[in-house]
Amino acid sequence: MIYLDNAATTLHKPQCVIDAVTKAMTSMGNASRGAHSGALTASRTVYETRCKAAKLFGCSRPDHVVFTCNSTEALNIAIQGAIPSGGHVVTTDLEHNSVLRPLYRMQDEKGIRLDFARADAQGALDYEDLERLVREETSAVVCTHMSNLTGEMVDLARIGRMAKEKGILLIVDASQSAGNTPIDMEQMGIDILCFTGHKGLMGPQGTGGLCIREGVEIRPLKEGGSGVQSYRTRQPEEYPTRLEAGTLNGHGLAGLSAALDYIEKTGVETIGKKERSLSRRFYEGVAGIEGVRVYGHFEHAERGPVVALNIRDYDSSEVSDVLSVDYDIATRPGAHCAPRMHRALGTMDQGAVRFSFSWFNTEEEVDLAVKAVREIAQG
Amino acid sequence: MRYYILFANYEQGLALRDILLQDNVPNRIAPAPRAIQGDLSCGMSLLIEPEHLDAAKRSIEAHHAAYHRIASLEGQIRPNRDQYC
Repeated sequence: MIYLDNAATTLHKPQCVIDAVTKAMTSMGNASRGAHSGALTASRTVYETRCKAAKLFGCSRPDHVVFTCNSTEALNIAIQGAIPSGGHVVTTDLEHNSVLRPLYRMQDEKGIRLDFARADAQGALDYEDLERLVREETSAVVCTHMSNLTGEMVDLARIGRMAKEKGILLIVDASQSAGNTPIDMEQMGIDILCFTGHKGLMGPQGTGGLCIREGVEIRPLKEGGSGVQSYRTRQPEEYPTRLEAGTLNGHGLAGLSAALDYIEKTGVETIGKKERSLSRRFYEGVAGIEGVRVYGHFEHAERGPVVALNIRDYDSSEVSDVLSVDYDIATRPGAHCAPRMHRALGTMDQGAVRFSFSWFNTEEEVDLAVKAVREIAQG
Repeated sequence: MRYYILFANYEQGLALRDILLQDNVPNRIAPAPRAIQGDLSCGMSLLIEPEHLDAAKRSIEAHHAAYHRIASLEGQIRPNRDQYC
């Protein structure tokens, strides 16, 4: 199979990740629960993974790296725990449902007021619209770093400067960019960065987290066992324990730790450069094919390794089905949990076929995908 | 014409897939076409040949299988390419 659904999850992982998970499953106790060797192995692994994530994302406090099952959980913790009832929030049309649905729920149950900065017909964020929507009473801006549908990038440094000037919380969804794009929370002015381990970071599913700037207060989304302060009736106040009730996915985090080592050794820039080169090669191969419509501003140098397209008026699901059954190429059709972005692109009815590239894809795979698209378009 | 059984989630779809295989009703997992997916069904469907549609409905009824709805749609690409499991 030619796997081009890496925006959903990276299927191919570095061998060191697989080895680390296997080793953890034969040696790891429960982190923060005891001082025997098994528990300490787990505690040490989790601690080291925090340090590596903090370093990768420019988070000044490793103890402010909180682990979750995925970025959706991280975003729920951030959105529900840091935005006050009745607050005003500005978000964007580029967002995934992992941002939108917690916000809609907060709108229903906590009376927050929501505004959406527009995306243009090719999915680029209208920064002036976003800046216009921010008001004196705005509590937070919640935005993605990279669209999961088109790969459009958001200039976080620009938004971070504005948020800092106005004293507004900036919560970022880095699900698509972590691992392939440099992120520095301090330089970019990010208050809470939410990430997942199983996409560009090439770690196991069931891993993710949030990095919190020092001084940002987040209420716990869940309470429970923490292994510490057991006689307290409330969740411990200190990060990361405040937001980590229950046993962590230690086995998964061991894999994430190895993945972070792999990324540091290889280099985020190197990984991003290769993935973008593959994405550009694919775009250039399909853009001129009669009947193919590609979405996104490809004149922008800064793009994620994602290409979304449609062929004639064909249902995107049928195109993806043909790619899978006839060519053994895995893509993602439909709505991609990005309803507002599809509305902006005008693809709500047709959906789109998303091709997304990873460090482990090759130029040969890209060329075969281009050939398949050409053959389908030619009938 | 192609017939698609649509589901609220993948769990419903995979459960019916097992039932249909057990009952020897040919079918294939396919992405649910956007044109018939609507707001309430998931991205997975079961593609059924017209001559097996009644057998599929009988299996659904006999096993009280959960599904969203059955919809039909003309294929747009290579109409003769249908591959059923």
